[in-house]
Amino acid sequence: MKNFDLITPEGTKDLLFEDCAVRRSLEEKLSGIFKSKGYCEVVTPGLEFFDVFNLNSRYFPQESMYKLVDNKGRLLVVRPDSTMPIARVAATRLRDAELPLRLFYRQNVYRNKPVMRGRSDEIHQMGIELIGSDSNRADLEVISSAIEVLASFENDDFRFELGDIGIFRELVNKLDADISVKEEIRSLIEVKNYPALNDLLDSIGSNEVTYALKQLPRLFGGEEVFDKASKLLNDEKIEKILSDLHCIYNSLTTLGYNGKITLDLGIVNKMDYYTGVVMKGYLQGYGDAVLSGGRYNKLLAEFGYDVPATGFAVNVDAVAKVMKQENAYSVPVPEVIVYGAEGFVMEAIKYAQSLRTDGVIVENSVFETYEETKSYAEKKKIAKAVCVSETVTEDIINGGN
Amino acid sequence: MKSEKRPLRIALTKGRLEKDTVALLEKIGYDCTAVREKGRRLILPVGDSIEVVLAKAADVITYVEHGVCDMGVVGKDTIMEMNGKFFELVDLGFGRCKFALAGKKGDNFYQGYNIKTIATKYPNVSRAFFEKKGMDVDIVKIEGSVELAPLLSLSDAIVDIVETGTTLKENGLEVFEDIAPISARLIVNRVSMKLRQQEIESLIKLIEENL
Repeated sequence: MKNFDLITPEGTKDLLFEDCAVRRSLEEKLSGIFKSKGYCEVVTPGLEFFDVFNLNSRYFPQESMYKLVDNKGRLLVVRPDSTMPIARVAATRLRDAELPLRLFYRQNVYRNKPVMRGRSDEIHQMGIELIGSDSNRADLEVISSAIEVLASFENDDFRFELGDIGIFRELVNKLDADISVKEEIRSLIEVKNYPALNDLLDSIGSNEVTYALKQLPRLFGGEEVFDKASKLLNDEKIEKILSDLHCIYNSLTTLGYNGKITLDLGIVNKMDYYTGVVMKGYLQGYGDAVLSGGRYNKLLAEFGYDVPATGFAVNVDAVAKVMKQENAYSVPVPEVIVYGAEGFVMEAIKYAQSLRTDGVIVENSVFETYEETKSYAEKKKIAKAVCVSETVTEDIINGGN
Repeated sequence: MKSEKRPLRIALTKGRLEKDTVALLEKIGYDCTAVREKGRRLILPVGDSIEVVLAKAADVITYVEHGVCDMGVVGKDTIMEMNGKFFELVDLGFGRCKFALAGKKGDNFYQGYNIKTIATKYPNVSRAFFEKKGMDVDIVKIEGSVELAPLLSLSDAIVDIVETGTTLKENGLEVFEDIAPISARLIVNRVSMKLRQQEIESLIKLIEENL
């Protein structure tokens, strides 16, 4: 029989030393930002009932979830997303809590991805959810927090991108076509497949709605996007969405990230619970979005609690990968190793403890002789070795440090 | 700033698409001498602002998806089989052919209730095609000349790329049904599109004008 006892499953990996150091420093940074804004941490179970992710709107394709069966024969999934469990918590245990709720999380999500594509199935995410307010102020708080998070990575280049899923929804509602065609239009807009989108829309008809849909994926870039978009279609709802978005965009310019904040009205992701403003964040050096989020006003209603919400998630692993390329993360090396001669082992342990002030890292030697201790210290680049017997003697091993 | 330093990197599918793309770039006015006289090198400069990477079709998608190449030229056949995450901006028009279902001349493929066996190099395309029809089929992955499979009675039909149909004809096979048209596409990484929008858009404009 073949054993898989020496490797990890595809899409997962062990994190060693520097990897952990980067992850923890990012966690500290982000949770610091979140806590300072009044967000409180929640942890949801790694296992959830399948039903939580199989709501009416079918947000997650079932083939992307890891599934198992509990001892009563019920279908479970390994958490594929954090927002939906948090919506569940808000709609149940936090139902009587004062709104708005400010929640943040740091936990893994698991998605069954195509093998051999170099992407992880296990993703460490951190994010916030602001539940219970539909106001422009709530949008601005979450969006400016997202920008603050992106800027805190001190990357060479980042982009923060805004869109609004409502424009596509309004347009496609006006279209006389069945659901599968609408889904095809959505997927072509998502991948910006201009030629195929044009062909498909031409076959449906030539009117101002199909024209607007053809233009939608091309509407990305800076503020000029609003000019182009306003010429698309005379529609009250769309004009309202655009003017709200423009308002948010203008407010954000006061943050001073000139040229870093852009627009894409063609963000129309599949399996989205988003209903309004959507956002994405990109870093130089990673080929996919590292931050994504938006407004989801209908999701909590599916758990029986009809309140609006907005939030975003950061792919911590992706950011860590970029940060590791740009900065050297080192694991701290012990400064001292303490050896106790025969009969002085407890003395040595106590002595070592007395040295561990002000964050100095001190190792206890487990070797039988002081010689072995020193040779080990040399290989491990430990600066100083100490021998405890009747007297305490010190040797500088790696003087360079 | 790193983003300004690295030239725009385009992955080209080795072979015919590479030649057609080079011709297109030269028509636009880029100096492609390095690509024409590449020897065994795999990363080649084109002018000051572009770098060409030569790769197998499926790898073009992988490189673009991960953002190590900003753009790529690859056939729609590979895109349909791989299903990656990227923008598919331009139909370049060359490398035209089609996906088709084919089998022994005169056979009625859809007749009978037996589960059909399909031989193909493109299992995902085949599965999607028959799933849409609500039809169960057995799919056998073949690496070389797929035309052999029905001739040796391994399969009832094949799903493959058909260009002129000569190979099919010479082996007593015929197209039963067209599945999808194919041509070369210009694909762009989602993040590059945003971080280097102006460079990419102006290059695409030049490409579209010279098609």
